[in-house]
Amino acid sequence: MKIIRGIKIGGLQQKIFNLMLIFIIALIGAYAAVAAYQQKNLTAVVQRASAEQQASITAVSDQTMKTVLETSMSRSTALQAYIANDLFADVQTDVRTLQAFAEELFAHSGSFSAHPYAEPNPGNDGIPSAQIQHEEGVDPSDSEDLGLVANMSEVMLAMFESSDKLNSCFIATTDGCILFVDDRAGSYVSESGEVYPFAVRSRPWYTQAVEEGKLIFTGVELDAFTDIPGLVCAAPVYRDGELVAVVGADIFLTSISEYVQNTATEGSFLCVINEDGQVLFSPQKKGVFKAEISDQAADLRKNGSKELADFVTLSLSERTPLTLLTIDGKEYYLTGAPMETLGWSVISVVEKEITTQPTSAMLGQYEKISADALSAYELGAKQSAKTIAVLTAVILLLAIAGALFVAGRVVKPLEHMTRSINALGGSDQAFEMEDIYRTDDEIEILAESFASLSKRTRDYISQITEITAEKERIGTELALATRIQADMLPNIFPAFPDRPDFDIYATMDPAKEVGGDFYDFFLIDEKHLGLVMADVSGKGVPAALFMMISKILVQNFAMTGRSPAQVLQAVNNQICSNNREEMFVTVWFGVLDTETGIITAANAGHEYPVLMQSGGRFELLKDKHGFVIGAMDGVRYKEYELKLTQGSKLFLYTDGVPEATNAQNELFGTDRMLAALNEDPDTSPEGILRNVRAAVDGFVLEAEQFDDLTMLCLEYKGETSMTEICKELSVPAEVERLPELLSFLEQQLEEVGCPMKTQMQISVAAEEIFVNIANYAYAPGKGIATVRLTISRDPAIATITFIDRGTPFDPLKKEDPDVTLPAEERAIGGLGIYMTKKTMDEVFYEYKDGQNRLTLIKNLPYKEQGGKQA
Amino acid sequence: MLNIEKTTNASELTVALAGRLDTTTAPELEKEIKASLDGVTALIIDMAALDYISSAGLRVLLSAQKTMNKQGEMKVVHVNETIMEIFEVTGFSDILTIE
Repeated sequence: MKIIRGIKIGGLQQKIFNLMLIFIIALIGAYAAVAAYQQKNLTAVVQRASAEQQASITAVSDQTMKTVLETSMSRSTALQAYIANDLFADVQTDVRTLQAFAEELFAHSGSFSAHPYAEPNPGNDGIPSAQIQHEEGVDPSDSEDLGLVANMSEVMLAMFESSDKLNSCFIATTDGCILFVDDRAGSYVSESGEVYPFAVRSRPWYTQAVEEGKLIFTGVELDAFTDIPGLVCAAPVYRDGELVAVVGADIFLTSISEYVQNTATEGSFLCVINEDGQVLFSPQKKGVFKAEISDQAADLRKNGSKELADFVTLSLSERTPLTLLTIDGKEYYLTGAPMETLGWSVISVVEKEITTQPTSAMLGQYEKISADALSAYELGAKQSAKTIAVLTAVILLLAIAGALFVAGRVVKPLEHMTRSINALGGSDQAFEMEDIYRTDDEIEILAESFASLSKRTRDYISQITEITAEKERIGTELALATRIQADMLPNIFPAFPDRPDFDIYATMDPAKEVGGDFYDFFLIDEKHLGLVMADVSGKGVPAALFMMISKILVQNFAMTGRSPAQVLQAVNNQICSNNREEMFVTVWFGVLDTETGIITAANAGHEYPVLMQSGGRFELLKDKHGFVIGAMDGVRYKEYELKLTQGSKLFLYTDGVPEATNAQNELFGTDRMLAALNEDPDTSPEGILRNVRAAVDGFVLEAEQFDDLTMLCLEYKGETSMTEICKELSVPAEVERLPELLSFLEQQLEEVGCPMKTQMQISVAAEEIFVNIANYAYAPGKGIATVRLTISRDPAIATITFIDRGTPFDPLKKEDPDVTLPAEERAIGGLGIYMTKKTMDEVFYEYKDGQNRLTLIKNLPYKEQGGKQA
Repeated sequence: MLNIEKTTNASELTVALAGRLDTTTAPELEKEIKASLDGVTALIIDMAALDYISSAGLRVLLSAQKTMNKQGEMKVVHVNETIMEIFEVTGFSDILTIE
């Protein structure tokens, strides 16, 4: 763990801190996500609502507007039409009045005298007055009817004065005169005082009224004098079916024209259309609704779309509904209403754009409000986001501080605990409970557990220390006991180097530190060798003590010269007299007569000995068993004899050998033991024991052995000549043992009178071979090297065999060095084997039974030399 | 087992050997000779009292001879018959100056 500013990176503190941080960040993240989502959602909702409201406002507004417009426009149009019509209806009434009056007048012409009349008098200009005019070439004074009709002057004057609509009213006679009333007398008289002629009977109203024989309205015409549009209403006057006069009145349409002009506001106007579809009055200066008073004026019904034509046609006969038409690329609302009197119609036109203006304005207003609201909302949202960010930062900082604080609180006792535990040293120190651990949580429990564990450990350590010390002491004592036990047994081999007539070798490997087995051999006198193999019941120290007693007793009684059976009886009695522990020992005891080779033996319950007669094989010797020693007082033992010949071998052992057990709980058994013995029956006693040992080891492998492994092998060589020697030496394969080996060889060679030079050659060769074994055979481990020396007299030959159980290796294969090279080119090494090959008569190597065997053969020249050489 | 006696006369070193020169004693001789060869131009090995020599001993002699070839000369004196035969067998009689 790294430590930065007091925080352990990767420690518990950091982990808690991380956990809290992650939690808080997740919380904030979730909150932020929700807030962002809501804000986005809200914005969308606001925008959508705004759009919907706008659409709805537009729709409602449009509808309302249309309804209002329809109602108001069509009413207004109707009203206009009515008002306009009224004008003509009044005139019509007036003309009918005049017609009736004139007809009455003519019907009763006899009753009326001629009434004076006058020519227009410019002095009357501006004053309503009655005057006459006549056609060119007509003399008013010739007129029959003029005086008659002049009787209507007062009536007409009154009519004119009482009406503000009439431009003039008149009565024309059939003889080309006309009496009329107006207030523009001056305009009929030229500057020279001449009255302008007036083509009475050519006038359209006259002709039309005469032709149609009823009241008529002329088309709109521009006034002959004033260019003001006007029209004439005229009616024929009959007397007895004969036309006698035409009455009429004319009206300037100034008032209508002005009225129509006045209706024009931005985007809306009225227009008046005659029965021919011609626009008579309109404020429009261009386009289809431009007014033109002329016969050639365009017919609206032919001058626009079919819809317009239909509309116009309809408007001439009835009130139209509100109609939307596209005219000159613009949309218009139109309503029309007929003027019944004249068969005209009034059309009201409103640009649609105007009608939607309020809606647009409202929408604009609304959008503005909406946008303001939205931006205010967004501003608010931004503000709140900022607030949230600041708040989040504050919370985060607080949380970090909190997390550090909490983590610190949790970790601090743990750190303190760690320090305390790390600081513990030695067995007398203990982990103590401290206030810092009183956290009322797991830490306190942990600390208590530590304290308790620490106390128990301390107690335990002191106990262990005591026990260990005790064990140590016992161990030391046992090791000492083992040494003493081993030292008690003859363990230096060759045990009797000066006795060529027999060779003996024995080993004891206790299963525990000290064992109950023992072997023993001792010379009772010059020609008697005592041999003992025994096995004490039980193991360990008690068995060892018992074994000591047994060994000493056997040897002591044997040394008194008693026979084996007597020895065993004596030992048994001795032991039984003081054996409260009821231990016992099996003993095989034999005495070899070294001259005869006869062994006298007795067996107190011990394993069968194994015998190999010379040249034969090892076989169990099923001898008679007596009872074990120490079990019963006064037991008697039987003796028997064995005859050993030259080369015979006797093998003694304890039950540890046949009862060696492997991991599968199989016993080694006597069969395997015999096989091992017969593996190389001609080898030395030491070789025999080694073979058995190797076989047992190879059998049990790693399985723990519970019984001691004790073996003894005796080889009887009988009477041997000093000139014929077969000796063997086994030493650890170590260079340090070389002098021992060489002195062994040289001693033997010396004894047979081998010349110095030959001795040295053999030594040089032996040294080479032994050093090789010591250095390489067992490397890097250790092992035994055995050298067997045989010297025969006839022929005089020394045979030296080196045996090791190390890595198979034939040193003779090494290439010979070139001995002719000068010193500089000579390699150091390889000389030894070369020398060996050169100086020995025969050298050969074989690998057999897991053994490297290198044999040197050297002819001995001492016969010729005779005696020893200095 | 091996007795080594060194006598220095100016740049002449005489090493008298007595006893056995074998694997166990050869390292001792090698060490002695190596330590004394500085500035020596004549090395005399006296084998009058030497009973035994093995290949290990021969190696020391060979090594000494190689050194002396560079800085002077080496002589082996008082070689008995037994040892002489070993020298002959191994071709050392051709390398060493034996008197």
